[in-house]
Amino acid sequence: MQDTQENRRLWLLATPGLLFFLIFFLIPVSALFLISFDKSSTGIVDIRWMFDLGNYERFFSRAIYYEAALRSVGLAMLVSIIALFLGYPLAFLIAKTTDPARNTFLMILVLSAMQLDMVIRLFGLMVLMGDKGLINQAAAWAGWTDGTPIPLMYNFFGVVVGLVQFTLPFMILSLVGVIQGIHPSLEEAARSLGASRWKAFWKVTVPMSMPGILSGMLLVFALAISSYVVPTLMGGWKVVVLPIHIFQQISELAKWQFGATVAVIMFLISIAAMLVYQRSASRLAGGRI
Amino acid sequence: MANKPYQEALVPGAFKWIAGLALFILLVPIFVVFLAGLNSGDFLTFPPEGLSLRWIKAFFESDSYLPAYLYSLIIALTAMVISLILGTLISLLLVRSAFAGRALLRAVVMSPIMLPGIVIGLSLYLFYISFDIGLARTQAGLVIGHVLVTCPYVIGMVSAALVGFDRSLEEAARSLGASRWETFRKITIPLISPALIAGGVFAFIVSFGQFDVSLFLTPPNNTPLPIALYTSLRYTFEPTAAAAGIFAIFLVVVSMVITAKITNLRRITAANYN
Repeated sequence: MQDTQENRRLWLLATPGLLFFLIFFLIPVSALFLISFDKSSTGIVDIRWMFDLGNYERFFSRAIYYEAALRSVGLAMLVSIIALFLGYPLAFLIAKTTDPARNTFLMILVLSAMQLDMVIRLFGLMVLMGDKGLINQAAAWAGWTDGTPIPLMYNFFGVVVGLVQFTLPFMILSLVGVIQGIHPSLEEAARSLGASRWKAFWKVTVPMSMPGILSGMLLVFALAISSYVVPTLMGGWKVVVLPIHIFQQISELAKWQFGATVAVIMFLISIAAMLVYQRSASRLAGGRI
Repeated sequence: MANKPYQEALVPGAFKWIAGLALFILLVPIFVVFLAGLNSGDFLTFPPEGLSLRWIKAFFESDSYLPAYLYSLIIALTAMVISLILGTLISLLLVRSAFAGRALLRAVVMSPIMLPGIVIGLSLYLFYISFDIGLARTQAGLVIGHVLVTCPYVIGMVSAALVGFDRSLEEAARSLGASRWETFRKITIPLISPALIAGGVFAFIVSFGQFDVSLFLTPPNNTPLPIALYTSLRYTFEPTAAAAGIFAIFLVVVSMVITAKITNLRRITAANYN
C-alpha cells in the first residue's frame, strides 16, 4: 500500500530529529530526576540509582530552601497579576487597531522588546534605577530628594519591576490573538440591549478573553519563577529565589545531587501551575477540552 | 471586519493610559541602552552630557565584547540551520502521518519552550558529565542546548503552514514525472518558505539572546554575548557593553521587520504561545 510506504518514509526522515530529542532532552531530564534521588556527595556526578529521599527531606526541613520556594511562587504570582493589568490594555489596543501599518508597528515593538536579550534590557533598567541611576539623579537635580538615593533596586521592588519588564511582552502576545477573535457584534449586542460600555466590557469581553488571560498568566508565572538573571542583577543577591540556589549548589558548592533536587522542585512547580491552568481552562470550556 | 473606525473608538480612555505605561516600561530600558552607548561621558548622567561614537569605536576594538558578539552569531546560525532541518522533518511527520501518540509526541517536542531554560541547561550539563561523552562546556554541547529551545519555534510555524497545505499540488508534480526530492524542493519548500523564514529568524534570535540555557554549558574559552554582558554587569556599567547592546538591538529589530514583511505576525504568535 502506498500509505504505509509514505508513512515509513515520514518516520525515517523524522528519525534524526526524534533521536535528538530522545538523547538530548528526554534522557537528560530523566537523569536529572534520578540524580536528585541519589545521596548527596560533593563532587560526584553520576547516576547511582539510590532512590533516596534525603535531598528532598533536607529541602523541606531547612527554612532557607523552602522559604526560597515560597518566595519564588509568591513573586511569580505577583508578577503574573501585574503583567495582566499592564498588558491587557495594550493587547486590547493592538487587537482593536485596524490600520494595518500601525498594527504591524505595534507588534514589531512588542516582539522586539520580547526577543531582545534580557541582560541588555537589564543594563538599561539598572542605569535607570540604580542608586546613582538616572531617576535618582533626576530627582536630586529637581530638588525632590536631598541627595540620599531612593532605593529602587537591589531589593524586592527592583526584582518585581525587572520581572514585569521581562514577561510583559509574553502576556501581551497571549492576549492579542484571543481578544482579536472576539466578534465585535457580541459587545455591540450587549450595548444595544442597554449595557453601559464598562458593563459590556466586563460581562462580554473579559469572560471571552479568559483563555488568553489564563495562558498568559501561566506563561508569565513559568518565566518569572525560573529567571536567574533578573533576581541576581535587580535583587543584588538579596532576594534569594530557587534559580539562585540551583546555581550556588552546582557551581559554587559542587553539590550536584542537591542542585538537581532544587531544579526538580522548580520544574514540578511549573508543571503544577500547568495542571491548574488546564483544569481551569477545561472548566471554562464547559468540559469540552 | 466591518465598522473599522468604530473599533478603535471602542478602546476606553483609561486603557490608553495604561497601554501607554506598558509601552513605556517595555521600551524605556532599550532607549536607555542607546543613550548609554552613544553618551560622550564615562557614565550616563542626568541631564545627559552629549553624544559621541567613542563607545561604538571601543566596542569594535574590544577584546571581550566583539568576540562574544561574533561567537553568539556563529552559535545562533548553527542552531538555526540544525533546527530548520530537524524541525521541518519532525513537522512533516506530525502533520502528514496519523498515529497513536501523535499529540503526546507534539507536546514533547514543543515543551522546551515552556520549561525553565536553566533546568534544560542543567539537565544537559549533568548528562554530559555523568555519561562522560565529552560535550560538557564545549561548543557542540552548547549548540545542542540551543537547538532544544529553538527547534520548537520551527516546528510550531512549519507545522501550522503544513496543515493548510494543498497536497494536490504535490500530486500534480508527481504525476507529471517529478521525483519525490524534486517535488519537495520545487513545490513543498517554496510553498512553506514563509514559515521556514519566520521559524528560522525566530530560532536565530532566541539563540542569540539565550542566557538561561547557556549558563551551565558555556565553554571556558568562548563566551556568548549574554553571558559576557552578565559577567561585566555584575561589577560595573561599561558603556562599551551598551554599545554592544546597540548592535544586538539592531539585529533584533531587523529580524522582526523581516518576519513582519513576509508573514502575518499574529499567526506566528498564535502558533507558539496559544
